[in-house]
Amino acid sequence: MITSENLQEPTTLAGHAQALTPQDEMLNRIGHVTRTLHDSLRGLGLEKIMEQVAQEIPDARDRLKYVAKMTEQAAERVLNATDAAMPLQDAIQSQGNALEANWKAILANASVKSEYNKIAHETLAYLAATSKNSAETKALLMDIMMAQDFQDLTGQVIKKITTLAQELEKQLVQVLVDFSPNMAKKETENHLMNGPQIDPENTADVVANQEQVDDLLDSLGF
Amino acid sequence: MANPNTKFLVVDDFSTMRRIVRNLLKELGYNNVDEAEDGVVALGKLKGGGFDFVVSDWNMPNMDGLTLLQHIRADAEIKHLPVLMVTAEAKKENIIAAAQAGANGYVVKPFTAATLDEKLAKIFEKLEKAAA
Repeated sequence: MITSENLQEPTTLAGHAQALTPQDEMLNRIGHVTRTLHDSLRGLGLEKIMEQVAQEIPDARDRLKYVAKMTEQAAERVLNATDAAMPLQDAIQSQGNALEANWKAILANASVKSEYNKIAHETLAYLAATSKNSAETKALLMDIMMAQDFQDLTGQVIKKITTLAQELEKQLVQVLVDFSPNMAKKETENHLMNGPQIDPENTADVVANQEQVDDLLDSLGF
Repeated sequence: MANPNTKFLVVDDFSTMRRIVRNLLKELGYNNVDEAEDGVVALGKLKGGGFDFVVSDWNMPNMDGLTLLQHIRADAEIKHLPVLMVTAEAKKENIIAAAQAGANGYVVKPFTAATLDEKLAKIFEKLEKAAA
């Protein structure tokens, strides 16, 4: 703030620069707050923790990738096994059905000796059970196959989390860069040694021409 | 009833899911099944001709299922193809968007063999009615 007191102070240029405009004072204060925050972060060891977190995210990502890989491999193995087992069950069922039909045809023939009848009926019962059991086994195999859809669903979730972790890592690294110990140096650079302004019209707190320089000096009583 | 010559294209970026859908179709009597891992590959295959039915996932790299559907509907050569969406996307707006883009059916993962069977039957029934 500019007060009459400020203006009456001994007039070194530096003294005036410190009391420039309300914006400058605001920026100054923000600078102090940032510095305090930075020091507190360091004091609390949060900086180290954030650095650690940023380093651990790639590790977490690798672990998720491992989970995705292992579940995919497991799902593939199961699918390979069910693929191989299903035709076997089909064969057991169809061959059982054929034998059953043959036996029934033979039994329909009156000339068959009675001592064969008992074993023939037992065989027929067994074949009927085989047909029923292989149909049930096949249904179970289909069930096992369908259960592997978890790999698609969990895989999609893992992909989403991996992307999220990547984003988080990027932002954490940015925070670390912004709050790095080099900040003090950058701060001075930003304050007084910025070189020519490449886009003054659109940069806050920068003058665009000599007229504005003169106006500013005027307003300060120079 | 199932015409065993119906040629399906199963589009999904997860090979596990492609295999599952392929096996289910086989169990339903459809042995003529090809696969594609994303919309771009699918569109290339479809433009090559010979397909009768598309079963597509939504969330895929390169080209997602909705975009694939829109491309199919915009191409005079293949716009008639029935498209069944099979996807984990379960928001109402997804389903509405798919319907508006011209999907013939929408199955949410995880699904059962019976659901797939039922949706396919429904689509074929409607197509037959439309043709009659």
